[in-house]
Amino acid sequence: MDFRGILDRLQVVGAPGLLGHDLPRPPDPKDKKDKGRGGDPFVWVEPEKLPAFLECCRDDARLSLELLVDLSAVDPSKDDPNLWVVTHLLSLALRHRLEVKCALPKAAATMPSSASVHRGAQWHERECAEMFGITFRGHPDPRHILLPEDWIGFPLRKDYVFPDEYHGISCK
Amino acid sequence: MVETKDAQRTTADPGKREFMLDVRTQDMEVNMGPQHPATHGVMRILVRADGEVCTGAQPHLGYLHRCAEKIGENVEWLQYLPYTDRYDYLAAMNNNLGYSMAVEKLMGIEIPRRAMMIRTICAELNRIGSHLIAFGTYGLDIGAFTPFLYMFREREWMMALFEKICGARLTYSYIRIGGVFNDAPPGWLSEVERFCDVFEEKWHEYVDLLMVNHIFVQRTANIGVIPRAMALDFGLTGPMLRGSGVDWDLRRDMPYELYVEIWKSGCFQIPLGKGERGTLGDCWDRSYVRVMEMMESIQIVRWCLGSIASGPVIADIPKTIRVPNGEAYAGIENPRGELGHYVVSDGGKVAIRCRVRGPSFTNLAVLEEILPGALIADTIAIIGSTDIVVGETDR
Amino acid sequence: MLTSMLAASVPQTGTNAINDFLAGVKPDYVPGWAVPLTAIGIAVGLTVAIISVVAMFSVWLERKVAGHIQCRYGPMRAGWHGWLQPIADGVKLLLKEDLVPLGADRVLYVLAPALVLASVLAAMAVYPLAPGFFFADIDLGIFFVLAMTSTTTIGVVMAGWSSNSKWSLYGAMREAAQVVAYEIPLGISLLVPIMVAGSFNLLEVSRAQTGFFGLNWYIWPWINPFMLPAFVLFFIAILAETKRAPFDLPEAESELVAGFMTEYSGIRWSFFFMEEYAAMFLYSVVGAFFFFGGFESPLTWGAAKLAGDGSVLHQVAAGTTLVVKGFAGVFLMMWLRWTLPRVRIDQVMTLGYKYLTPLALVCVLGAGLWEVFLTPILPWRHG
Repeated sequence: MDFRGILDRLQVVGAPGLLGHDLPRPPDPKDKKDKGRGGDPFVWVEPEKLPAFLECCRDDARLSLELLVDLSAVDPSKDDPNLWVVTHLLSLALRHRLEVKCALPKAAATMPSSASVHRGAQWHERECAEMFGITFRGHPDPRHILLPEDWIGFPLRKDYVFPDEYHGISCK
Repeated sequence: MVETKDAQRTTADPGKREFMLDVRTQDMEVNMGPQHPATHGVMRILVRADGEVCTGAQPHLGYLHRCAEKIGENVEWLQYLPYTDRYDYLAAMNNNLGYSMAVEKLMGIEIPRRAMMIRTICAELNRIGSHLIAFGTYGLDIGAFTPFLYMFREREWMMALFEKICGARLTYSYIRIGGVFNDAPPGWLSEVERFCDVFEEKWHEYVDLLMVNHIFVQRTANIGVIPRAMALDFGLTGPMLRGSGVDWDLRRDMPYELYVEIWKSGCFQIPLGKGERGTLGDCWDRSYVRVMEMMESIQIVRWCLGSIASGPVIADIPKTIRVPNGEAYAGIENPRGELGHYVVSDGGKVAIRCRVRGPSFTNLAVLEEILPGALIADTIAIIGSTDIVVGETDR
Repeated sequence: MLTSMLAASVPQTGTNAINDFLAGVKPDYVPGWAVPLTAIGIAVGLTVAIISVVAMFSVWLERKVAGHIQCRYGPMRAGWHGWLQPIADGVKLLLKEDLVPLGADRVLYVLAPALVLASVLAAMAVYPLAPGFFFADIDLGIFFVLAMTSTTTIGVVMAGWSSNSKWSLYGAMREAAQVVAYEIPLGISLLVPIMVAGSFNLLEVSRAQTGFFGLNWYIWPWINPFMLPAFVLFFIAILAETKRAPFDLPEAESELVAGFMTEYSGIRWSFFFMEEYAAMFLYSVVGAFFFFGGFESPLTWGAAKLAGDGSVLHQVAAGTTLVVKGFAGVFLMMWLRWTLPRVRIDQVMTLGYKYLTPLALVCVLGAGLWEVFLTPILPWRHG
């Protein structure tokens, strides 16, 4: 199905937490500042309802989004108060993809873990947690995965400051 | 499976060095790596073993973390290309392709046909090279020293071909945004054809020497079985998924570049694990998929050589690329699985986010589930069959 | 009194000959008891020298064989086609730091390689190097050899334990299990030629296969059809005994780094390797004696015809033949190592206990029945 079809189906089954969608569009000729948006369409979902949403997508036969391809986060800019948690889903049976975005406020970056729905999300969430400082509640194994256990700071945030030294090794 | 309690016990307090559990008389905790001949890179797996049987496994990553994604936010679009070579360094062409495709999707540019042909040839040749290493080192892990060297003979030729076209043997940065860097030198295409002919003969040698060798089958059949449901739950892709009998290949199911035509021409098949020598989804099946895929890649290369077009090899794009505002995801079929690049741009010279979805990272997670219950000697066989490259796991 | 006691305990033939020779040339001021001791010393020295040369040649052979099987040359720089390579390796190993790991059991750690090498050197004592020359002619020839080569297991387990490393312990445990399992088919399969020859003594068995231009060798089916299966079982068993691929789990490189030898370096490590190659050669020579005629070859017959039986030329020819046969077996073992993958430990044990042992017993039973009922009626088995 194309994106329109997936969106309609999501609305029909009443997927929990569905807030809206965003389509690519050319720049508005009337607004000089508007850059337009290229690339892929996606849906906005409430962070608290993400596991339920993913479960709905997986279990519905007409959506059949069984494979969790990626779960990562984006820090759009220093000024933006939100982080985006971006999930990519794939359907093997119906050959379509879906991109799901959740806006998570930086000040309170916590949301439930999707590890119970997709086992593969466990490691992706661990990486998100250590890189962006997002807490996934209910995660079975919330250790750091790529960074050392005692690393301070969240590297992929835009306001990250690289430390001066780590265990006596100079970082400059 | 490792429980939360155990996970907390091995977690050190911030600032303290991590240490292993005390050696108890019943369960021995053995450390595989970071320096170990069989872990295919710098990776550490804490294995809890009761005698020769593994009762728990915890991979520890991050030894090769080189902050690729952070660098992606600090260098220009084209400058990021050499970094893409270096995550899955055994299949660098495919990495370049994945990144370029994501950026091209966002920019909305058309790639010239000749460029797409050459890209496909390079990607498939690199797939062969990557599978040669995967299979050869798998043989080494199992104890067969010689097939590895025979496979390296062909891989040397492949690397010589790449050296002729772009100057590098391992990390190419050849497939660029908009096409490829430069055209193939004269005689290159006929040499690729000769390579295909010779490789087809040698392929039979590898199968006879290793694939159907009784000892190899005994070591890999019925080991590390990944059922279909587990594979989907973990998000596995590539030979890990196809070895479990799941019929999914991005080249056929979500085709990109020329694969629509190539599939229509019927020149290649998608090999699947069938549980021929043991259980469906065991290590032998995954090796079988890789070995058969090498032959299929040869057919794809031959098709491309047969219908090679002439023309420009790179689209007309400015020297300093400014990618329009937006975000795009492009997934390609890497030798190890689905390599996804998710790029977010705000219209500038530098990316806002360059997320790399490495197949090895996702594929590695399944070890926590299939290692417990296996013998120590099987641990090596299972790790080898996941075909991970730590550069991609850690980025 | 002391002299005669010492003289009485000196083993026979080869060492005796040296003893007599020295007694003959002894100057008067040297006391009597020094002669047997010197004789024994020379004999031991010769054994060590022979084993060292064998081991060094095997090292070179292994690397060249490996190289050529893998489409490359192997060592080419140290001397012509790398023949000086083992000497270079030996010098390097001698110059390495003498390391004992922290926490290792020092006594056992130092003793283990010595014990392992000493067992193999002791086994060498009963080998006839030529029909008239050997260090000890004891009736229990092959039994002694098997007994001595099995004591290497103690050394290996000591090495694994004393290294204070989990990987070494794994390797040692696997090795002990594997060697003990394969001792059984090894011994039982050797019973077939022993039955036919009627003796444990290596020289006796070799003499029993003389004549008829090689058609009397025990491997031929008309002598006893159970010889060939017995040889196959014997060969598989010696592959497991010497820890060679496909049974090289104890030193499984890709899994346990180097198994029980992980913590050893320098000359101590080279002792383990010398033992491996020496054991390979010794077992291979046992195979030559029991199945392939021992000293018999066209070279030996020619020498005997030319210079007479028992002459120096005959002895040298016989010795050369034996060495060539021994190295043919060694070459076969090396060839298999570089071709076949490794068998897993439980599969090794299954093979040993469930398949090889019953087959060996069947061979012995069949061979015995053949000997009792059919040998009297076969003309070529008389005389």
